[in-house]
Amino acid sequence: MRWMRFAKLSLLSVSAILVAPVALAVETKQDEPHYWLERLEPALTETAYKGVFVYARGDQVSSMQIAHRFHNGMVEERLVMQDGQIGEIVRKGMDVVCVLPKHGRMELNDAIPSGPFAGALANQLVPVDRWYRPEITGRDRIAGHGVVRLTLNARDSLRYSHQLWLEESTGLPVKGNVLSAAGDILEYFHFTSLTISDSLPDQEFMIQSEGREVSRTLEPQSSSKPDGSMEGWTLGWRPGGFQPAATPRSGSGKAVAFSDGLASFSVFVESVAGTGMPSGTSRIGATTVYMRQLAKGQADFLVTVVGEIPLKTALKVAESVEIEDFEVLGANQP
Amino acid sequence: MDDRLKETLSAMMDDEADELSVRRLLSREGQDEVCAQFQRWHQVRDLIQRRNPAVDSIDVSEGVRDILEGHDQGLDRGDVAGQPARKRWHWPAVAMVALALAVGFGAGTGWESGSLSSDQLAAAGDVPELPIKGMDEQQREQLSRYLLQHAQHNSFGSSHASMGYARAVSASGAEY
Repeated sequence: MRWMRFAKLSLLSVSAILVAPVALAVETKQDEPHYWLERLEPALTETAYKGVFVYARGDQVSSMQIAHRFHNGMVEERLVMQDGQIGEIVRKGMDVVCVLPKHGRMELNDAIPSGPFAGALANQLVPVDRWYRPEITGRDRIAGHGVVRLTLNARDSLRYSHQLWLEESTGLPVKGNVLSAAGDILEYFHFTSLTISDSLPDQEFMIQSEGREVSRTLEPQSSSKPDGSMEGWTLGWRPGGFQPAATPRSGSGKAVAFSDGLASFSVFVESVAGTGMPSGTSRIGATTVYMRQLAKGQADFLVTVVGEIPLKTALKVAESVEIEDFEVLGANQP
Repeated sequence: MDDRLKETLSAMMDDEADELSVRRLLSREGQDEVCAQFQRWHQVRDLIQRRNPAVDSIDVSEGVRDILEGHDQGLDRGDVAGQPARKRWHWPAVAMVALALAVGFGAGTGWESGSLSSDQLAAAGDVPELPIKGMDEQQREQLSRYLLQHAQHNSFGSSHASMGYARAVSASGAEY
């Protein structure tokens, strides 16, 4: 066994010398979808850019201005809403400051559960190839930049297909579509102007509008250990490739998020004494919400699935939820 | 790098390395060199086997270390050995924000009711539409909270965490 290993090692070493130039050639091959897939995350983190993008789902369209850079080892970002009420968000590393629109109804602190969060999404080990068919399907020009179109067709009907237009020199996504099985565009984003520059002024990353400011420091990702534990309930079925991604806190209820590397969905299970939430489904763009009442003994629970997944997937996930422990979910023991 | 470490590295590629030697490899100084070697061999192997070169610049050592430390996140070994720890971008994180900012989740104006395609109805059987417009304030807030938290799952942990906050703001600014 051991001598075989050495034999293999020698072979590898020799081959390395022989094929090194070829390896370089393949590495820069821009027709390979994997070349672009690998660049996606570094491109999004490290590219310095500013621009305006439009986002549409269903019949609604809105636009946002964004500036982004990787400065002194941390991500700096500023987002400004271009439609409706004024509001902006500035982030430096893990520190976030929001200027909220005037008529705030919900406290930010209520909206953002505290504690470790979905760092797992960034550490997915989900191989995208297994569930999507990546393919370079052409070149184009968007917001003044040459782009490569990367199509990720779903391999089954449990998830939607995606198209991404990636800027040629950086790999930054400048346009994206989510497509139904029939090929309809369910939602998209699209940069209408984009400047890629390493010399964005510091001013671009400072709060500039006046209003009620809320600051918050994100938990470091290292403390995040999402284990997909579903306290008090279990999921009997989930679509292939979707891995647990986070265990956020949702009031008294328990929620778990799942992701296949491109799409994600969240499952919420709560005791519903008093709220009287209806059952049913609703959709906007690619987002599906499915709510279902579940009686166990004399206690009632509400199971909610929210995600960028087809209705039949949401339905199947929700139907597979089983309640195991009443007390954990905050319901009285019957 | 001595032959023993090279042997471990080679064994790792075939998913045959034992835990002790992997630990030894990862605790060694000069991890850059180890990573470079690992990547070169992968390229060579990919070329020989005519696979797509998949590990250009991905560092799997972190993921392997985590798993050795017992932080296994429910992933099977095959994934760890064969697939690099990739960071994936979740485009809905970007995508869902702007609309939420302008309209808010609770508004319910854009939510479809009664316009499911025949395919979907067939797949879903007889699923009632959620009467969002008919919900009371408490119910809508509950729904908004779910949508918001889902948006945050998408964006936190990615390099676009601000997007999650943008959605938070939207719920805050939504006029019901």
